Amino acid sequence: MALLEATNITKTFGGLTAVNDVTLIIEKGVIASVIGPNGAGKTTFFNMLTGIYKPDKGAILFDGKSIAGTRPDQIAALGMRRTFQNIRLFDNMTVLENVLVGMHTRLHVPFWQIIASAPGVRREETKARDEARERLAYVGLDAKREELAKNLPYGDQRRLEIARALAGDPKLILLDEPTAGMNPQETDAATGLIRRLRDDLGLTVVLIEHDMRLVMAISERISVLDYGTKIAEGDAHTIRSNPRVIEAYLGKGAAGAAA
Amino acid sequence: MAAEANAQTSAQAVRRPIVETLRTVFGPLVQLLLFVVGSAIALSLLVILLSLVQLGARPDLLTRTLTILPQVLIDGLVRGFLFSTIALGYTMVYGVLEFINFAHGEIFMVGGVTGAAVGLFLASIGLLEGMNPLFFVLLVVLIGMIVSGTLAVTVERVAYRPLRGTPRLVPLISAIGVSLVLQDVVRLIMTNSPMGFNARYNAPDFGPPIRLFEMTLGDRPVPIIISPKALVFITAAVIMLIVLNYLVNATRLGKAIRATAQDMPTASLMGINVNRIITLTFLIGGALGGAAGALFGLNVGTVNPYMGFIPGLKAFTAAVLGGIGNITGAMVGGLVLGFLEAFVASYLSLFTNGALSGAAYADIVAFSILILILIFRPSGLLGESTTQKV
Amino acid sequence: MATMSPPTNLWEQVKATLSRGPTGYSFLGLYAAICTWLLLTNPRTSLNTDIAFALFLLLLLIIYRSQVALGFKVALGGVMLLVVLPIFGTLNPFYIDVATQAGIFVALALGLNVVVGFAGLLDLGYVAFFAVGAYLWGILSTEQMTLMNPAWSPVPPIMFYPFIFLGLIVGAIFGVLLGLPVLRLRGDYLAIVTLGFGEVIRVLANNLDRPINITNGSQGIRGIARPPLIFADFVRNTLGLNLDDQQLYQQFFYFTVLLIVLLTVVVVSRLKHSRIGRAWEAIREDETAAIAQGIPLVRTKLLAFAVGASFAGAMGVIFASKQLFINPPTFDLIRSINILAMVILGGMGSIPGVMLGAVLVTMLDLQILPRLATVLRDLQRAGAPIPSAFDPTQYQRLFFGLLLILMMIFRPTGILPDERRKEELVEDQVVDLPLDDGEVDGGQPPPPTQAPPGSGPIT
Repeated sequence: MALLEATNITKTFGGLTAVNDVTLIIEKGVIASVIGPNGAGKTTFFNMLTGIYKPDKGAILFDGKSIAGTRPDQIAALGMRRTFQNIRLFDNMTVLENVLVGMHTRLHVPFWQIIASAPGVRREETKARDEARERLAYVGLDAKREELAKNLPYGDQRRLEIARALAGDPKLILLDEPTAGMNPQETDAATGLIRRLRDDLGLTVVLIEHDMRLVMAISERISVLDYGTKIAEGDAHTIRSNPRVIEAYLGKGAAGAAA
Repeated sequence: MAAEANAQTSAQAVRRPIVETLRTVFGPLVQLLLFVVGSAIALSLLVILLSLVQLGARPDLLTRTLTILPQVLIDGLVRGFLFSTIALGYTMVYGVLEFINFAHGEIFMVGGVTGAAVGLFLASIGLLEGMNPLFFVLLVVLIGMIVSGTLAVTVERVAYRPLRGTPRLVPLISAIGVSLVLQDVVRLIMTNSPMGFNARYNAPDFGPPIRLFEMTLGDRPVPIIISPKALVFITAAVIMLIVLNYLVNATRLGKAIRATAQDMPTASLMGINVNRIITLTFLIGGALGGAAGALFGLNVGTVNPYMGFIPGLKAFTAAVLGGIGNITGAMVGGLVLGFLEAFVASYLSLFTNGALSGAAYADIVAFSILILILIFRPSGLLGESTTQKV
Repeated sequence: MATMSPPTNLWEQVKATLSRGPTGYSFLGLYAAICTWLLLTNPRTSLNTDIAFALFLLLLLIIYRSQVALGFKVALGGVMLLVVLPIFGTLNPFYIDVATQAGIFVALALGLNVVVGFAGLLDLGYVAFFAVGAYLWGILSTEQMTLMNPAWSPVPPIMFYPFIFLGLIVGAIFGVLLGLPVLRLRGDYLAIVTLGFGEVIRVLANNLDRPINITNGSQGIRGIARPPLIFADFVRNTLGLNLDDQQLYQQFFYFTVLLIVLLTVVVVSRLKHSRIGRAWEAIREDETAAIAQGIPLVRTKLLAFAVGASFAGAMGVIFASKQLFINPPTFDLIRSINILAMVILGGMGSIPGVMLGAVLVTMLDLQILPRLATVLRDLQRAGAPIPSAFDPTQYQRLFFGLLLILMMIFRPTGILPDERRKEELVEDQVVDLPLDDGEVDGGQPPPPTQAPPGSGPIT
């Protein structure tokens, strides 16, 4: 059974159909990409998967459960985590605290125990901090854990978002343009990190990305959206040679370059 | 819907025929009229129905209900226009800055106090006695508009502009501060002047109440009267609403205001001086509030430094009720709320046989409406049907 | 606080010397001794005593901010609060009343701080919850019960203690009742709606004397019960203190309030540093991102509302009993603004800051403004051009309004801004935080990079 099955998803805003009858099946343990020109409906699609928008039509099954219409925080608790295209960290909290917030759904000491400062509270908190630092070390930010998130350089902020998403022990992680605005070295580092998420941690990764080099290099499966419709799907090779993709996404003139 | 279409055509047409302009200006007013008549009829039917239900127990109830009904409607109209004119100030500022100008009720109050001060001054130099009432109204409205408009602009410069771009609640807290400061500064001035805390609003003689018509209920005739001051208030409010509609919907300035409200960065890229537009928005909203204050004070006969707070809150409710940011909505919301309040204030104690005081519970009704609207229809009555923002 | 000195290098050195090491201990000890002596030798209410009292409060702040051993801090602070101030209170009833009042507002401000400072929800009707607690005890402990229904009688005064707890619960219930419908609203709408709610509660208190007399309307409720002085014999016979009932009640309320404040601080700071506190802060920072971490928005906000409201409810019970009389104007909007001003002055989100703010505002209310009023009257008599009708105690709105505006423009983070808890990097780093940073850059907004977390307190 696939980890995520979004079938025949449609979403309209006013008169504009942002996503039109799109089906996306993600198998466990793959790195998949959703690509498409600006305004193709990729982020809207992500927002429906994570529950921020409710699809007008279609069904979403995550890990066997229907999640269309489920609240975003519940979906996050089920193990689907995301990053944001325009980085959304908790700016005035420290790096470590950002990761701890990401761990929220996994911390369970009840309210009255916190007030009574029961022994379990300290235990859970210590464990959470250790684990948070592990996640930070994983993305290479442990040394900066006491800095405020807003003071991090851009590339670190992107990595912190990933660490925060990892803190929720997700089954599926959605990355919205994880390398946007990065230089080639940073992009390479990010590519390595994304690959490790799957290879080391066994995560399923779906990314929205514009950097074709990255997409082609790491995706096992690529879906192409254009004007809200899925126009192609397949591995890097198939997509690269698909004339519709070349025309719609890469543009007619880019056909030679892409091939 | 008509208003929206009109607004769009007017924005596109470079030279529009006079008919077009008239439609742009009066379209919203027709909409307003429909809401006024609609809510008046609906509420009247409701109270008549309620009195019929209780008819068995209290046979005189129907007569009493009908006897006060016209007066309640007039009262509702006065309250309604009061809320409308103040609500316009809230809604215009909100439309442009997405900011609740909490101190707007005080701007209204300053208009009222200014009017009373003018009256007192004229009386002290002996000019008031023989003055033409309409000229007096014109004078206090004008001075009230100037003082309140200037004050609103100053407040924006001093207490809001430095905070632009900060988290939303920062300017709001500052506005709450401004509201308190204005109340007490005015109080300080009033109590140290001949006006005192509760100042009488001196005015020339407006003549006896106007007898509109007489209706007969059973055996006794009931005269329907309206005070000339209330009539002046309603007339002036309607004129102001027309002028504002013209200003916003049919002039270049209005187009600039609407553009700024839609998208401030883009408007500034199009060469609109956004700061100037914001200043103008505060000026217009403040002037309207000042005029409303001057007229309202005249209507009730006294003013005090705290008189702006509750009407301010209710006007905000009205703005939200109509769909905040929407000018026609503010007017509609104000009138609907005015009618509701007038009906609750007059009929609640009648129907509960004096057990509940209508005047006190009218406030609760207003706030309950605010809460209900915000929960169930945050876009307000006209929030979606007309996308015309300020 | 230390406003008298410019932040020169010398000043920094002096401060560093005085705040730790042997010099620190001796400085604190000496200061405490002088304070004690000043207070106990100046029992009359006068400007001198005002100053001594202010020095006493400053001492508490300095104890808190100094770098001496925690045990010493607690011991010294404990002696000052538990021994010196109560003894002084037996000599002069005014100041201990001020202290009790300040304590009540510290707890209220801490409660509001949970809502405004932690969760970033501007609540302008907070005093409504205080009113609910006060009326709860006011109605149930007096003849109002019999007025409502002749078959009922007031609860016995000893029930005061469980009613503090009941006030807590009723406050929380009202917090949830208000919160449920309105917490979906955007921040500024929420502010107005809570304001409306506060007014509704006040109007209800004012009008629920008909058809059934529940609240006694604008007359207010008189003769609210105080708990029996079960400890009177102990104090008079065992401790040998000859205090009348009035004095005993003052001491009683002082200690009760102190205890509640202590509990409040403990609860609030535990919450703040827990997963719940982090969730509140995350919501304050960015709601969308917080939801994406699996934080349930409405439930988390509701919790903040309920926690904040519960402190107000409990304090309401104590307040009603202490005052003996409550009426609707006690709980008007200006009171809510008052508490908000405490939170904002001290620093939204900062527990010590909010406590400081509450003490300062209460002092402003009860001591500084009345003192200013006498000074102005004297100046007037001496012929200074001061308007005769200007009595500073009557112009709270003016002062609090100005306070709000100025704080927002020049120092939105407050005078003791929230500090990040730095693990492993404790103590030595914090030492250099100037005690008087309220004055250092008071003239301009702090540069964004240095701004402590409170700088984006609410979005």
